[in-house]
This record gives sequence, C-alpha cells and structure tokens, in this order.
Amino acid sequence: MYLRVVRSPSVSITARQAVGVLPLPTSPKPLQLGHISRLDIKAATASALAASAAVNSRVAAEPASTSKMPGDFTVADVQSAYIHLPFCKRKCFYCDFPVEAVGRDPTAPKVEARMRAYVDTVIREMEATRRLGTGTLRTVFFGGGTPSLLPPSLLELLLNALNAQFGLAPDAEVSLEADPGTFNVQRLRQYRQLGVTRLSVGVQAFQQELLEACGRGHDLPDVLAAVEAVHAAGMPSWSLDLISGLPGLTAEAWRYSLQRAVEAAPDHVSVYDLQVEEGTPFERWQRAGQLRLPPDDAAVEMYGEASELLRAAGYEHYEVSNYARPGHRCAHNQVYWRGLPYYAFGLGAASYLAGRRFSRPTRMREYTAWVDTLKLNGGDTLPGGYLPEESQEELLLDTIMLRLRTADGLDLAQLRNRFGSEALTTALRALAPHERRGTVLALDGQGRPCSLAEAAMDAAKEATTAPLPPLDALPPAAGLGKAQVDFQQRSRGPRVRLSDPRGFLLSNDIISDVFAEFDITKHTNGKRTT
Amino acid sequence: MDLIPVVNKIDLPAADPRGCAEQMAAAFDMDPEAVLFTSAKTGQGMEAVLPAVIERIHSPRGDPSGPLRMLLFDAFHDEYRGVVLLVKVVDGRVEVGMRVAMASTGAAYEVQEVGLQAPERHPTGRLLTGQVGYLLCGIKDLKAARVGDTLYAAVHQSQGVAAGAAVVGPPPPRLPGFKPAKAMVFAGLFPLGGDGQEFESLATAMDKLLLNDASVVVKRENSEALGPGFRCGFLGMLHMEIFTQRLQQEYGASVVTTTPMVPYVLEMSDGSSRTLESASEYPTDTRVSRILEPTVTATLISPDIYLGRLMELCAGRRGEQLEHSSLGGSRTMLRYRLPLAELAGDFYSLVKSRSQGYASFDYEEGPYRPADLVRLDILAHGKPVDALARMVAREEAASIGRALLVKMKDLLDRQQFEIVLQAAANGKIVARETIKALRKNVTAKCYGGDVTRKRKLLDRQKEGKRRMKRLGSIDVPQELFPELMKTR
Repeated sequence: MYLRVVRSPSVSITARQAVGVLPLPTSPKPLQLGHISRLDIKAATASALAASAAVNSRVAAEPASTSKMPGDFTVADVQSAYIHLPFCKRKCFYCDFPVEAVGRDPTAPKVEARMRAYVDTVIREMEATRRLGTGTLRTVFFGGGTPSLLPPSLLELLLNALNAQFGLAPDAEVSLEADPGTFNVQRLRQYRQLGVTRLSVGVQAFQQELLEACGRGHDLPDVLAAVEAVHAAGMPSWSLDLISGLPGLTAEAWRYSLQRAVEAAPDHVSVYDLQVEEGTPFERWQRAGQLRLPPDDAAVEMYGEASELLRAAGYEHYEVSNYARPGHRCAHNQVYWRGLPYYAFGLGAASYLAGRRFSRPTRMREYTAWVDTLKLNGGDTLPGGYLPEESQEELLLDTIMLRLRTADGLDLAQLRNRFGSEALTTALRALAPHERRGTVLALDGQGRPCSLAEAAMDAAKEATTAPLPPLDALPPAAGLGKAQVDFQQRSRGPRVRLSDPRGFLLSNDIISDVFAEFDITKHTNGKRTT
Repeated sequence: MDLIPVVNKIDLPAADPRGCAEQMAAAFDMDPEAVLFTSAKTGQGMEAVLPAVIERIHSPRGDPSGPLRMLLFDAFHDEYRGVVLLVKVVDGRVEVGMRVAMASTGAAYEVQEVGLQAPERHPTGRLLTGQVGYLLCGIKDLKAARVGDTLYAAVHQSQGVAAGAAVVGPPPPRLPGFKPAKAMVFAGLFPLGGDGQEFESLATAMDKLLLNDASVVVKRENSEALGPGFRCGFLGMLHMEIFTQRLQQEYGASVVTTTPMVPYVLEMSDGSSRTLESASEYPTDTRVSRILEPTVTATLISPDIYLGRLMELCAGRRGEQLEHSSLGGSRTMLRYRLPLAELAGDFYSLVKSRSQGYASFDYEEGPYRPADLVRLDILAHGKPVDALARMVAREEAASIGRALLVKMKDLLDRQQFEIVLQAAANGKIVARETIKALRKNVTAKCYGGDVTRKRKLLDRQKEGKRRMKRLGSIDVPQELFPELMKTR
C-alpha cells in the first residue's frame, strides 16, 4: 500500500498528510514542508505511521534552527543518522567493531532471515526514538560490518522507516559502506535508486598477500571489479579506504597502493593507520611475537607519504584520516567533527542527542532486549535520556579534540564566545610549545599564516555578540552540493590547526596536552574554565 | 613480665616438641619443664593452658585504695566521639564524672564515659585496679594524648576542697612510659605540584592521616628542586608505601617520594667545615678534603643459619663489623657500624627477607666517620637535575649511575624530542642513555560517531601527563621517584 506526501506551499500543514487512505491524528504539528517534493513511502504497518505521527505531535512547534546555543539542546534540529549493519562474510583480523560473520554465502536463506530480523529490530528502534527538532535528515550513513551485504529490499525498508519517522531530505547525502566482492553494477544501481548518493569502498590494500594477511573477505580481482562497478553505476560520490601499517607492508608496497588508489579516481580517500586492538587475532599474535608490523618510523613515513601523494593528486587532507576532492568532503562525518547532534541505530551505534552521548549494546541479544525496553517505555524515548546532559567542560574538551583533528581547525573566536576567554588562553598556553616545534599552526581572520599570539588577538577583537558563523551549520552533501561551498566554509576567523603531516601524527599527544592543561588549571584555581 | 612458654602444633609429623622447648629455654633463659605442649587442632594439652594462665600470671599489682594512676597506652581518633584513650588502671579506680589530669601537660578533663573494649566499646561506668579499658573525656586533638603518659585524679584549683572530699596532695609519681617505635625507613615527601597551594593540601592531608598513625615521624624539609615538603620516618618500606598510597587514595594528595638526605659534614681544604643537607649543594668547584658521614650502630640478632647472608648485606652496604658474639641456642648477635644513609632504602626489608623474618634489627645513633663519597648527578640535556642528585660511594658511582639511567629510560615516556640522559660522578660522565623522540601518537582509526571512545583514549593519556613532575627540561612521571629510590 502506498501513501504519498504531496508538496504543499503553505507553512502550517500536518506532517505526511495521507491522501485518502489512513485516519489522521487529531493534534497535528505544524511543519515547514516547503522544500519537500514527492516522496514515496511504503508503510510497514499502519500503526507504525500512526505512532510516528503521534510522536511528531509531541514535539514543540519551533522554527527550524541551525544555530546551536549552549544549553538549548532540546530545540536543535537533528539532521543526521547513522545505522549500523553488522553483517560480514568473515571478520578481519584487526577488527574490533561489533560485527557478525555470516559465512561465504550471504544469500543463504538462514542469513537472509537473520538480516531481516535485525532490520526489523532496527526499524522498531527507529520508531521508538523521539524525534528532536523539526528538520529532516540531511545525512545518513550506513556503516558496519559490510552494509553492502544487505539486499536492496532490506535497505529500502530502513530508508522508508527513516523517512516515515524523521523525514528524509531530497538532497540528503546517503552513504553506504561496501566491500569489494559484495556488489556489482546492478546492485549499485538499485542502491542508487533507493537514494544512496555516496559509496565508501573498503579496499584497504592493493596487494593480494596483504589482503590475505589481514583476513579480508575479498581478493585483488574483487577490488578491480569493484572500482569498475562504481564507475559504471555513476555514483555521485565515492570513497576508497586504505590501511597503512599492515603487517608485512613495505614502503614500496605502500606507495604502489597509493598510486593505484589515485588511478582508481575516487572522489574521496580514507587512510587509516592500523591499530592493534584488544581481543583481536592481531593482538593475540602480537603478544605471541608473531605479528610483523612495520616499525614506528616506517609507519610515520607511510603517513607522510600518503599525505604528500594524495595532496599532489588534488585531494584535500581535511581530517587526520580523510582526503577529499573539492565538493566531496563527507558531510556525515563532518557532522561528527563539528559537534552537531545525530541519531544512531543498530548494534553498538553511538548517538549524540540533546547533549547526551549514548552507545547501544554491542551484543545482539542485549541490543534486541534494549530495543524492546524502548517500546515498553511508550515508544517515545530519548536514547540515553537518563544520562545527564554533557557539561560545558565535556563539550569544551570534545570540541577541542574534534576540531584539532580537522584541517579547518579550532576557531578561536568561537571558542572564546562559547566557553570564555580563560578557556581560550588555557588552550593556547598548552599549544604554545607545539607551535614552537612546528606541529601547531595558526591562521588569522583572512586565512593567512600567523603566530598563535596574533591569532589570539584577532579572536579577542571579534565582537562577542557575533552570531555563530556557518561552520556550525550542516555541511553540504558530498558530490551533490556546490564545490565552492567547501572553500568558503574553510577560511573564516582566526584559528589554530595541527600541521600536516607531523601535527596530525602527534595529534593524540598534542590534544592530551591541552586536556592536561585544563585539568591543572581546574585543580589549582579551584574554578571552572567557563 | 610473666611468660608462659607454649609449644603448639605438636600434631604435625615434623614437630619436635622437646627440641623446641630446649631452644626456647636457652633463648629466653627459662625452665624447660615449664613449657606446655599443645595442639590447638587436636585439642591435646589445651586443658592445661588456662589454669597455667591463672596460676602463673601475677595478678595486677596495684593499690586499690591508693590515689588513681592510669597508664595511657594508646589513643585514637573516633569520628563521632573524639579521642578515645586506652588506659590501664594501675592504682585506685576511675569513675564517670571524675576529673583526671595528664601528668605531662597538667591538662585536666572530665571523664564522660569509661568501660571495656570487648571488642566494641561497652561502658561500665568505672574501671577498677588492674583493669584495662577505654576512657572518653572530650579530648578533640590526638596530640593532647601522649602515649605512655600517666593520668591521675585532679581537683579543680578554684574549687578548693569540696566539703567531705578527700584532701588531695601533690600528684602521684609518674609511671614509666613507653619507648616510641623506632623509624627504620626515611623518605622525603613532596607535593607533585610544587607550588605553595599544593604543599598546603599535602600538609592538611598528612595531618589527618597522622591522627591515627602516631608511629610516623614527621619533620619539615625544603628541597631546591621540589619545593617545601616533609621528611618522614616509617616503621618499614611497607609502612611507607601504605602511607603514601593512603595519601593518594583517601585525600587525593599526590606525592613524590624521594630518597631523603642525611646530613654530611664536609671538611674543606681551607680548614673550614660545613654541613651538607642536600646532595645538589655539594661543591664541584672547591676542593673538599674529607667527607664525614653520619653512622648508626646497628644490632642484629639472628639464627646462625642466616648469618652469612646478613653479613654479606652489611658488608655490601659499607658496614664495619664491631662485634660478633654467639648468644647460644644457635643465635648470634652482630653489631655493625652502618652509614645512616643506608637506612633510607630497603635495608630493613632485606634484613627481614634474608632471614625469613627471624632476625631482629635495632640501631642507635653512631659517630660521624670519614667516607669516600662522590656526588652522583643525573643530567638531562647536559644539565643536572637537582632532585635526582645523591651521594654514593666512589666505587659504586658508575654502576649505580648506569642502573638509574636504565630505570629512567624504562619509565620515561617518549617526548616529542629526543632526551639525552647522562650520569656524572663529581662532574665526570660515567654513563649515558638516549631516549628517542616520539614520532607518532595518533588515533587514525575510524570510530565514526563514537566520540566517547576517542575521548577515553585521550583522557587516559592526559591522566598520565597529570602525574608528571617537571624536572629541568623533562617531564617525569611521579612513579619514577620511588623506583629510583630502590635502584642501587
């Protein structure tokens, strides 16, 4: 049964007003629908729709707002959602994410049934989650696991549920992680039809031996076929993942991988330095002395080389691990790094809503049980609602951490306006020794290199009542937006950033120094830095 | 003191009751026939123990009709009731409502509650001659109660003599008090932060902790590198470790424990002499003709089988043997002149561990004696770190220097620059280590929206940094100091 949402020119209209088929709730919520055109939604059950409409009616009618004032969380629009799809053919030796290995045949009936059951649970979670704000979803990210193992029909259910519950903008960025060997051109086209606008391909390496060494479920021919398929399907934006620091990786092999990656012409490249995590096969082998990881110095070289090579090829190194062609920065990930709120659904997924960071259980049974409790609570839950709202201090440290990992850096005027001039001085005091070593750089209001002190003075000059600059607003979708917007958003206001590559390589050390400085200040002064 | 020798566990197959009885008789100079043989497990011989206690232990000697005299043998601070005194009534009796005074201070208090500790406090209203119990008299400050003091009945001066009350003469003679427990390990305690405020917090925390631990000897000390602090004496290494841990856990006071200095006497080439209180003050420019170090006269009593190991220990610590005599019963007494500095570390622990706990160790102040010592410095980037300077024997300088550097290399986190460490004896380099610079410390991994996970990682790194102490141009973790203290 199909329902259609019809575009309406007026401002106050009920959400998803069905034409003729379903009874409507009697207390509608005014919603600005001006920009939504036709959206087909297939209701899973009539009650689901009624329930979601009832949820909407509870949210206060406030105009959509993209500016986020501290403390004003309940009104902020949440326009991003992450969905975790945990199924993989097999588990890679380095992986410590919540994943379920389903074996070589993902189409087996047992596997499909399990996936279906999981999707049903996730949909139940969505339906029981309170909608915050009035905006629709503008970024969606399907991560995992291997989301591309999911049959398009199941993906469709999820997208429909998202739309029904929260509304999906027509120009939304919808990303899907995909592994070589799990998709072909047809499948990609189906995904595209459902609204997927961005694909993230987990290549990791261009050497057969390395792929085997890390337990990947695909081989080199799969990689080449995958790249071809992506091009043939005409995805608006796609990304390629590489892992440096793999056991047995040499400098030459790394260079080769980078070159092949550039040749594949992705719009975006993610480079991750391998981290051996507790509980993984790699960790066991490392403890037994059997893991031949490249030495620290070699790993450092690899990181630097990636940065050089990719930047020379026209990619912007916009975050510690991420490179993008102009206009192809991942909007969803930038939501994380800009401290904007986001929904999250699925096994082990982490959400950030109303100032609360909440992670779902990582084991299937517990996750399912947790979703059941959501429904029991009347089905209008703020996940992690029982947690206290994050403190200003938490927000400050998170902001510093996330922004310093980006090339856009930490906006000093914004820091001062939001958290006070003492917070600014404390942060700069911690960063000063790193500036001397060349791992921290400062830029003035015009984006020109300057000293930390000069940038601080510039920040002090900016009016304290200035509205928050657009850096806080939702970034444009990759591949769909205007390329220039990226550039515009970049150089605004005096800022500090970590240098590339040395600053990025030592980012943990530098950021923890800033944390330590706030800690010490708090202890000696006895007063908070806000 | 009356002793009842009892040999227990005679049910064990390896038991040698006769042999044991003879050893005891020899060691404690008693009649082997007086020894009781028991097995608490099987019950054998147990029926003779209590009658022996009744028979052989003297009843308390004291005068029930005499003026009140009590021995204060312990005191502690109770959160709700204030200071609780543990007393033994030697003469007379004490009752609620009476006024008692401390012999050492003359301060008088009214007895609010009195009774037995069995083991909870049971108020009885009075204690009779020979009884041991507790007293509450409204004392707030533990320092007012001196263990070993005598308490007697007091009559308020301004009251004069109440009608019908006994005439009170001068206070009764004081009871012989206790010997204070001797400190065996010394250490310097400094606040991690190093500024005035941190010192105040440490002082407050120590005051509170010392309320219930009267065995710690505390003196103020000042260090050039570490600022104001304390020099403390503990009953042993474990005591010290527990004390510093409790400071950290219960009061949040992070301390740096350093090897304390002992005062040396320097005789200069121009004939003058001065005291050296801090190793970093040892002059490397002017010639010192002689160094005199403080010593102790140590007495060790140990079963013969451990003698060799103990003598080796003392010799290894520049000990000079003064006496070696047999005490019979296969025990020997050793007397050594040892450098006082040796008591700062693990000497006492080693005496115990090398003798499986059987050896006893006691010491008293000894004379100053000449010593061939040099100043051992740790240099970071060519500059000596004052807080780590120490005086060592010349022949040990190189090996101790190397050991210290290896330990430091182990414990120091890599910084963003290379660290060159050197050890120098009287200015001459004797060892060197290089700690390479940190080249990467990044979370490149994709945690996506799980910001909390990234934060936890950084918070942990931050915690490590918080416990750092800036020494010269390097940051060292707090744990470095006790570790270096143990290094030889």
